[in-house]
Amino acid sequence: MHISERVAAATLSGLASFAILLSGCGGGQSNAIKIGLQGPMTGDYAYEGKGFENAVRLLADRANAAGGILGRPVQLLIEDDAGDPTQSALVAQRLVDGGAIAVIGAYNSTATEPASEIYNEAGILHITPSSTAVRLTQKGFPLFFRVCFVDDRQGQFAGDFMTQVLGAKRIGILHDNSTYAQGLGEEARRHLERLAVDVAFYDAINPTDKDFAPILTRIGAQRLDAVFFTGYHSQFGLLMKQSRALGLPITWVAGDACNNPVMIEIAGAVNAQGNYVITEPLPKDLDYPEAHDFMAAYAARYGEPPASTWTIMAAEAFHVIRTAIEQTGSDDPGVLANHLHTTLKDLNGLTGPILGFDEKGDRLGTIHLAYRIDGQGHFVVHERQPGEVSAAQD
Amino acid sequence: MQLLQQLLNGVTIGSFYALVALGYTMVYGVLKLINFAHGDLFMWGAYAGLTALTLLAGGPWAAGTWMIVPAGILVFLCIALAGVLVDRIAYRPLRSAGRLPPLISALGVAFVLQSLARNLYGASWRTYPQIAGLSGGIALPGGLRIGALQILVVAIAFLLMAALSLFVHRTRIGTAMRAVSIDPLAARLMGIHVDRVIALVFLIGPGLGGVAGLIVALYYGSFDFTLGWTFGLKAFIAAILGGIGNIPGAMLGGLLLGVVETLASGYVSPQWKDVIAYATLIVILIARPTGLLGERVAAKV
Repeated sequence: MHISERVAAATLSGLASFAILLSGCGGGQSNAIKIGLQGPMTGDYAYEGKGFENAVRLLADRANAAGGILGRPVQLLIEDDAGDPTQSALVAQRLVDGGAIAVIGAYNSTATEPASEIYNEAGILHITPSSTAVRLTQKGFPLFFRVCFVDDRQGQFAGDFMTQVLGAKRIGILHDNSTYAQGLGEEARRHLERLAVDVAFYDAINPTDKDFAPILTRIGAQRLDAVFFTGYHSQFGLLMKQSRALGLPITWVAGDACNNPVMIEIAGAVNAQGNYVITEPLPKDLDYPEAHDFMAAYAARYGEPPASTWTIMAAEAFHVIRTAIEQTGSDDPGVLANHLHTTLKDLNGLTGPILGFDEKGDRLGTIHLAYRIDGQGHFVVHERQPGEVSAAQD
Repeated sequence: MQLLQQLLNGVTIGSFYALVALGYTMVYGVLKLINFAHGDLFMWGAYAGLTALTLLAGGPWAAGTWMIVPAGILVFLCIALAGVLVDRIAYRPLRSAGRLPPLISALGVAFVLQSLARNLYGASWRTYPQIAGLSGGIALPGGLRIGALQILVVAIAFLLMAALSLFVHRTRIGTAMRAVSIDPLAARLMGIHVDRVIALVFLIGPGLGGVAGLIVALYYGSFDFTLGWTFGLKAFIAAILGGIGNIPGAMLGGLLLGVVETLASGYVSPQWKDVIAYATLIVILIARPTGLLGERVAAKV
């Protein structure tokens, strides 16, 4: 027993010194500004992770080609969290150890949550491009921000859209028990109950399932006017495909984790047709010079323009970090965070004007849209959220 | 009427479990080895099918439903060959090493196959080409509905299972297979070439598993490299439930698991599906430790 403990201790200390050696080797660019990125490069959400990486690499290379930030080169540290909370905590620790001053990520709220604890502890600026669960900013972490918009506003818009635009009287809500999906489902339910609308069905699927025929058969028997699915795109594709195969006339409305073309590929355009997705504007509908410029550069480098909103949001996060460093002349996370909370106002962003961030780190305003999926599987703007960005407060 | 539709849903998913469970049960019956690599051979069937269908769709002929037949044969051949290779490389050298080493070797093969699929085909979801003529369905009286693909898939599954049953019970080589599973030593003394029988088991089991992979991927339209893990585990449980080593047992276990799961998610909630399905499994195993159709094993002295 003693021997094995001693062996274990020796192995551990050996590993530790090896790690120190390794991190020492990375010191070639000692004055570099290190920016971390974590996202799902593998797994169900790999499409979005790849988009994150492409966007951030592009902007970092452009910054370096223009002489760096504050005359210092940008060095990217990229880690794969696979969308998994356990792996997310591991890679977050790696980014902290690697000396990042700011981290962009993660994609899904379930992975962002444990990472935000670690970055908060380590005093690193943390901006998520895409994790919209309300509770993430309820913890009072002073260095945590998001460039996306929060789910309470999305849930309200979804509720208003289904009742007022689609004229739905009986509504169902389906989530997948993830931090994000459950949060969004609850927000929508609360809003619908305030409007005195009948939420006749409320349940959850398992995200690892492939066969949804049983739950779809039950939903079909309820004669609902619309079903709001708050989970992720792979499952939404399967849900639309299988509900058509069962001949169920369900009108689906999905949240902003379903705004990418992979979902159409999984469902088949025929099966996706006529359903709706609520989301921040898609890249093609961002009519801002910063967005056009980024899309053109992205298309030139990767062969096609980005199709997912979250790719642009990742670029937006980099843009915000870069702007904060340039405006403050500092790379101290505390100084940067303070600047974002108090001073930064009306920045021209890729996804529209960034009015600023509130004391919790949430981006002010809201810009959700409802898209209808047409026969070719394209997203067509159907309805805009009343009082977009310009009129926003709170 | 909802109940009938749910039973239909349950039989569909249950026939997938059954088809995969056959591979576990055949190998166990002959070698008393739980071939954990079987789930991943099944997953490779889905990838091989993707490659075959993509190649066929690119040919100079008119694409259509017929492509499933040549694709199915190709997948059967490829995965059967892979199965025999797995046995030759990872199991046969360990034949006399007791029961634990081959089991660990099987787990090793499972991880190798899974990583190989991820590295070769990528980690993201892959989708099958849409095949015309399979998207429709038949509406039955009372609001019941069967998809064309559902009919095809269940029919193929039952045909394959029936063919296997006939093969094992009505042919000489099938009889040899059963003899080996009862007592390999006595079978050898009776002049049966045991190694050849084992090779045949590793040809048929994984071959059928591969075809099951093609069918499952065709039915759901999309999958990733973790397919073998999720379906394989369920199929393995189905094999135990029915009585491992017993071919009709694997079919019964698969169908039962599918129906229980479906009723649980249809009438309670998908969140409770696994709780209910596994609680049922435990109850059945307590009542019949050798599974529904498993023989009672007499204690050896």
